[in-house]
Amino acid sequence: MDSALIPEGAKRCPFPKFMLGMAIVGAVLLWGVYAMFLCWFKGLNQTNMDDYYGFALWIWADLAVIAVGGGAFFTGLLKYIFKIDELKNIINFAVIIGFICYSSALLILAIDIGQPLRGWFIFWHANVHSMLTEVAFCLSCYFAVLTIEFIPNILENRQLNKVSFFHHLAHNMHGVMAVFAATGAFLSFFHQGSLGGVAGVMFGRPFAFREHILIWPWTFFLFTWSAAAFGPCFTLLVTKITEAITGKKLVSDKTVNLLAKISGWMITTYMIAKIIDTVYWAQVTAPSMGFTLDHFYSNNAFYGYWILFAEIIVGGVVPGLLLIFKKTRENPIALLTAITLGVIGVCLNRWVMVLQIMAVPVMPFDTWALYIPSWQEVATTILPVAYGIMLIAVSYRYLPVFPQELELNKPAQATE
Amino acid sequence: MKIDRRSFLGLGLGAAAGIAVSPVGVKLTDDSSIWTQNWPWTPVPEDGEISYENSVCSLCPGSCGISVRKIKNRPVKIEGLDEYPVNDGGICLHGIAGLQYLYDPARVKSPMRKNGDRFEPISWDEAISLVSGKLADVRDSGAPHTLGLISGGAGGSVTALFKRFLDAFGSPNVYAMPSLEDNLSLTAATLHGAGNTIGFDLENADLVLSFGAGLIEGWGSPMACFKANSARRDRHAKLYQIEPRLSNTAANADRWIPIKPGTEADLALGLCAVLLKKNLFTPGEFFGGFNRFAAVVQKEYAPEKVEAVTGVKAADIEKLAVAFAKAKMPVAVPGKGRGDHGQNLKEFAAVQTLNALAGRLNKEGGAFVMNPDSYLAFPEASMDDAAEAGAGQEKSVGSVNELVDTLNASAKPVLNALFVYNANPCYTLRDTKRVKEAFKKVPFVVSFSSFMDETAMASDVILPASTFLERLEDVPTGGGLAKTVVGLTRPMVNPIFDTKNPGDALILLAQAMGGTIAESCAWDTYDECLEEVAGDIWDALSEDGYAVVSEGAPMGTPGTDFSFLASNPASVQAGGNGDLLLVPIDNIRLAGTAPASTPFAVKTVSDRVLSGTDIVVEINPETAKGLKDCGYAVLITSQGKARVKVNFNEGIMPGVIGMVKGLGHTFDNPYVAGKGVNVNDLIGPVIEPGSGMDAAFGIKATLSKA
Amino acid sequence: MIQNTKAHKFGMVIDLDKCTGCGSCMVSCMAENNVPFKEDESRKKDSITWMRVYKLTNGKSFPDTEVVYMPRPCQHCSGLGDHGHSPCVSVCPATATDYGYDTGIVSQIYTRCFGCRYCMGACPYHARYFNWWDPTWPEGMESYLSPNVSPRMRGVVEKCSFCYHRYQLAREKAYVEEREIEENEYQTACTTACPADAIIFGDLNNPAHQVHQIVKPDPHPDPRNHKVVGKSRNPKVFRLLERLGTNTKVYYMSEREWVRKAGDSYLDGEWDEVKNHHGSSSSHG
Ligand SMILES: Nc1nc2c(c(=O)[nH]1)N[C@H]1C(S)=C(S)[C@@H](COP(=O)(O)OP(=O)(O)OC[C@H]3O[C@@H](n4cnc5c(=O)[nH]c(N)nc54)[C@H](O)[C@@H]3O)O[C@H]1N2
Ligand SMILES: Nc1nc2c(c(=O)[nH]1)N[C@H]1C(S)=C(S)[C@@H](COP(=O)(O)OP(=O)(O)OC[C@H]3O[C@@H](n4cnc5c(=O)[nH]c(N)nc54)[C@H](O)[C@@H]3O)O[C@H]1N2
Ligand code: SF4
Ligand code: SF4
Ligand code: SF4
Ligand code: SF4
Ligand code: SF4
Ligand SMILES: [Mo]
Repeated sequence: MDSALIPEGAKRCPFPKFMLGMAIVGAVLLWGVYAMFLCWFKGLNQTNMDDYYGFALWIWADLAVIAVGGGAFFTGLLKYIFKIDELKNIINFAVIIGFICYSSALLILAIDIGQPLRGWFIFWHANVHSMLTEVAFCLSCYFAVLTIEFIPNILENRQLNKVSFFHHLAHNMHGVMAVFAATGAFLSFFHQGSLGGVAGVMFGRPFAFREHILIWPWTFFLFTWSAAAFGPCFTLLVTKITEAITGKKLVSDKTVNLLAKISGWMITTYMIAKIIDTVYWAQVTAPSMGFTLDHFYSNNAFYGYWILFAEIIVGGVVPGLLLIFKKTRENPIALLTAITLGVIGVCLNRWVMVLQIMAVPVMPFDTWALYIPSWQEVATTILPVAYGIMLIAVSYRYLPVFPQELELNKPAQATE
Repeated sequence: MKIDRRSFLGLGLGAAAGIAVSPVGVKLTDDSSIWTQNWPWTPVPEDGEISYENSVCSLCPGSCGISVRKIKNRPVKIEGLDEYPVNDGGICLHGIAGLQYLYDPARVKSPMRKNGDRFEPISWDEAISLVSGKLADVRDSGAPHTLGLISGGAGGSVTALFKRFLDAFGSPNVYAMPSLEDNLSLTAATLHGAGNTIGFDLENADLVLSFGAGLIEGWGSPMACFKANSARRDRHAKLYQIEPRLSNTAANADRWIPIKPGTEADLALGLCAVLLKKNLFTPGEFFGGFNRFAAVVQKEYAPEKVEAVTGVKAADIEKLAVAFAKAKMPVAVPGKGRGDHGQNLKEFAAVQTLNALAGRLNKEGGAFVMNPDSYLAFPEASMDDAAEAGAGQEKSVGSVNELVDTLNASAKPVLNALFVYNANPCYTLRDTKRVKEAFKKVPFVVSFSSFMDETAMASDVILPASTFLERLEDVPTGGGLAKTVVGLTRPMVNPIFDTKNPGDALILLAQAMGGTIAESCAWDTYDECLEEVAGDIWDALSEDGYAVVSEGAPMGTPGTDFSFLASNPASVQAGGNGDLLLVPIDNIRLAGTAPASTPFAVKTVSDRVLSGTDIVVEINPETAKGLKDCGYAVLITSQGKARVKVNFNEGIMPGVIGMVKGLGHTFDNPYVAGKGVNVNDLIGPVIEPGSGMDAAFGIKATLSKA
Repeated sequence: MIQNTKAHKFGMVIDLDKCTGCGSCMVSCMAENNVPFKEDESRKKDSITWMRVYKLTNGKSFPDTEVVYMPRPCQHCSGLGDHGHSPCVSVCPATATDYGYDTGIVSQIYTRCFGCRYCMGACPYHARYFNWWDPTWPEGMESYLSPNVSPRMRGVVEKCSFCYHRYQLAREKAYVEEREIEENEYQTACTTACPADAIIFGDLNNPAHQVHQIVKPDPHPDPRNHKVVGKSRNPKVFRLLERLGTNTKVYYMSEREWVRKAGDSYLDGEWDEVKNHHGSSSSHG
């Protein structure tokens, strides 16, 4: 049965070995599920969040996975709208990663809210002024789009494809995929942005607040931009990891370098904007509320200038430069370093825009608030990772995710 | 095969699509959210008609008027009663949280008898016959004077009824817990003649010179003081606070004058010396060696000498004395903090003498020497021979603290039976170990407590008292007030548990004992008794809910007897050893006395006072060598040792450690007890010769890194 | 918007020189509004206190230390430009907290709140509290709960409501008697409890009310910062974090300059420029 499902001609590890791996990751998953149920049935007192840290680890994880999941909409945009056909070699994988990231994001939100069974009020009693409303709508719609984008790939499974209805369905869906890609890109633009807006509109929080363009704070555009810029890094990183684990080359260097190059330029331009934003905020916005830059980075045990440096230089400027220059881009080590730093950089940015905001005292007589997540928070945050690994493993095993897999691995197969 | 898969898949998809479009999902989602809005374990208070009833709070000697909001006769909120002559609408957090006492986890729900080291519930009949039986034995043994009573500060007919019971029983051994009111009476007796007490007209004074009096930490009648203090700003009157620590009163004052703990008397006498020297005093009817006094203070309490003792600059002492003399309506107020414990007669007398020299006796805005002839009119008690004999007897000792020591000292029981009413001496007297030991020396202890507190646990039988919300009682305002208001505490609910008004318990006991004791308490109920003994003011009480017994400056100017101070009594020194001095600090948010605080009150306490179950002590960073702010430390006095957290406070005099009162309770209430330590475990009493007052304002101590 | 004169704009002014830090307001609030309690309430970041009294010091060392207590209810922010977009209201995705244009009161709808806590992040005053725990009372104690304020369930946010139920009761009475509600008819539980008379509550739009007479709110935007509306023209009165443009309706009053300065953040030298500036039409230096 197993072998009957594996794509034609593709080589996969023996079933028992596969199941063993799944079991190990599955155990981690169960741990997370257990924590999840604790939070649902006993309440959020299971976490170390408090009235100062209403937003904590989860919301960071949420923003982070959505940021790195941005590879899906951006790659889709490039392939279907800008017709960069080379990217067809990685689009399936980008979509799967996106699907994982967004489904995780939704799950995390369902755990994070104090009244999960009322979660739908956000749609029913929607407040159009709230960035979170915008996030909720775009997020769910885009998740639907990703599902639709994922389906044809599933239908291409060797057995399913034998059903002529599915065969034709998959074929036709590919045809109209441009429409969905366009929709997805549009939705993503808005929810990535509104996630940035969540922080930027908090005019009671000088560390978060940013000047507005029309109704959107700067962070709105910065978040979209950074997601488009760093998302592909994550797609590439996961591809590299998958290649390492499977011991196969799955995507051609040509495709990888092309995406890396695009990502590089996006990152570099983003960093320019981000640096301008930071300087303006530090020199004009915050001082206008009576705050010096020092206030945000001193008098506490954790948040120092180091985090600003790590985010902007190490996790931003450096990977950007490494990726725009052909020489470094095409050097495997430099490439790997760049995409890794990039992913870390964008995650750090989301961390700062969630947790540091909560930590900084605003009332002159208030104090810094630091927090350490409880194991329940950690477990529920790792849950999506385990789930992601498993979904990727299954997809890779049974679906023709990488169109180039067979040709790239011909010699390997011959020697066997 | 193929067919199967196709049809199977088709079926699956069909079903999925079907459910998706059906209303089932929507309905379930909606229902689930509605369920979360009506969780059965989230209470839904019953609605009904709103009504308000007036009563008087007796949780402390303040006796504030309260208005109780009820829904269908169910009390839901206590608020201050507007226009009430004591508190005019103001109310402290203990009074507001009063309803929590009704359901306090530590309440004694029925009479209890100690069996081994555990208590077992018994019926009132059993309890009464048990106690009356024991008392009969004591009386028949020919030693009726070995029945004792320890009662808490407040006056009123219940306390009087207890005294009457002991009279008829034949025992003079009645002891009151230290209280501001008693300290003031003793001071008045010493300076102006027996039967007097002193009230301070804070509402009209234009300069209040407070010798540590916690005017906004619960001194005297707390809310009356709050009102007067807050009105002071609109009247442009001034408050100078003399205290070793920046207490809330000091922080709120116009001037804070830090002083070495326990040296207030020296400063007061120093000020007297300046007035005399500069001839700034107002001559009055001074006797008992006024000239000797004048000579002594100018010699022994010259500004330079006083500076050395108190730490207050000589120049400032002169200025202060002049300011006091020159003010239109100044008044000096004694009684550190709440003015009851850790006080000494020398200090009270010295401060009152300052008022006398400034000619502030019985003047508006000054110190009133009042003669509060009791409004209570009990009929003549009928006495048998034993009673007569007892009446002749001398009281074993002077004060409750001396009683405790005597009990511990003598081999054979000084007391064979002891009543404890409205008092928690095993928690509130200094060196609680000593007190608990003394209780063991008494063969039979009867507690009238509402709560299973430290003293109740140390007793043999508990006759549980209904709380102030469940009973009728007359409650006069405590000491320090320029007027005396008697309020009527009315039952707002029927007793929640099987408890009684202590007055009723006492009447039942008397009836059971029979004879003259029964005759002396020949009422069917306490309520009847109150109506009779309240005599003239009963109508006012029952109609207006209160009666103003005395108000305004008394006629004439009383004489002042200087013999006590002319003998220049020695100042009390702190006991123990160590380079630091531990003083109790008082926090209005914590009931230092009884009943203990409510969950609400404890909730308001700063994390710089209570952190988890750790008590936090205050110390000036200058003296906190080797210690970390918020870090752990070990506090050691000659009395004991405690693990504490440290709070660096620039507002406390270097060399002084401040520890809050009211924590470290050991009874069964997880919201209030088992938190921090009781400062009284760490401080031992220092009895002032003559007055018998526990004058321990603090104790020497060491504080080192844990 | 608020400009419509018929609308009320309820607010407070708290005299910090009178406040004694006694905590009556805190407990009166808890008792009035069915606020629950736990065994350990010393972790103040997980301790529901709609009214919280902060202790501030002038930072000087003994014996020049000074202390002031600052009671902090919800500030009922009118938001940027006074348009009712409070920091919290504007961000709540489910409209579970709302701005009452007829009262200026920021409401909280417990049964609609789904516990996302965005509003808490947005509030710089930490006036919002989340029910991390199921509220429970010791046996029997439920009997004192008031029906006028529904107890909250686990997982939702709560905060000071300016005792809205008291407004409702007063309004109904006035409506039946066909008249406006009187100043003394609607007073909050913290105000009436305060034994130092430090809190004054009323309608900032009503010149007859004491709170208006003390605050003298400036109807025009502050020329130095157009986000700020309703700045007090009384030199002794200030607001918490006024420069953020939250436009709070809880004002504070003190004779002491260090106290007034402690209400906001200032860059070096700024305070001396602004300390004598009191609104657009201010005469003072
Ligand atoms: N909240 C509350 N209020 C109450 C009561 C209650 O239980 N709770 N009880 C009521 C009763 S029964 C009474 S009698 C009163 C008692 O109220 P208080 O008399 O105020 O209580 P104490 O604990 O005696 O006050 C101790 C104060 O004296 C100060 N102190 C200690 N040593 C020295 C010293 O050497 N020099 C100076 N200058 N100050 C010193 C401490 O800083 C502390 O502030 O309170 C009444 N009011
Ligand atoms: N740690 C600490 N010690 C102190 C003080 C302090 O502030 N802190 N303050 C000092 C002061 S001010 C004083 S006056 C003394 C007071 O000390 P006490 O006079 O002992 O007052 P409480 O400790 O309150 O004791 C009152 C007792 O009566 C019970 N009780 C409560 N209500 C009633 C009632 O209605 N009827 C009857 N029959 N019993 C009732 C309570 O359960 C408690 O056991 O403590 C002094 N000691
Ligand atoms: S001051 Fe005393 S009498 Fe007045 S309310 Fe508070 S506890 Fe009751
Ligand atoms: S009740 Fe009044 S005095 Fe007491 S803390 Fe509150 S505001 Fe201050
Ligand atoms: S204080 Fe906080 S909760 Fe209250 S209105 Fe302002 S932002 Fe909202
Ligand atoms: S927690 Fe409740 S009130 Fe706050 S933003 Fe979320 S839904 Fe709105
Ligand atoms: S206004 Fe009412 S709800 Fe707000 S703090 Fe005061 S008492 Fe509490
Ligand atoms: Mo007392």
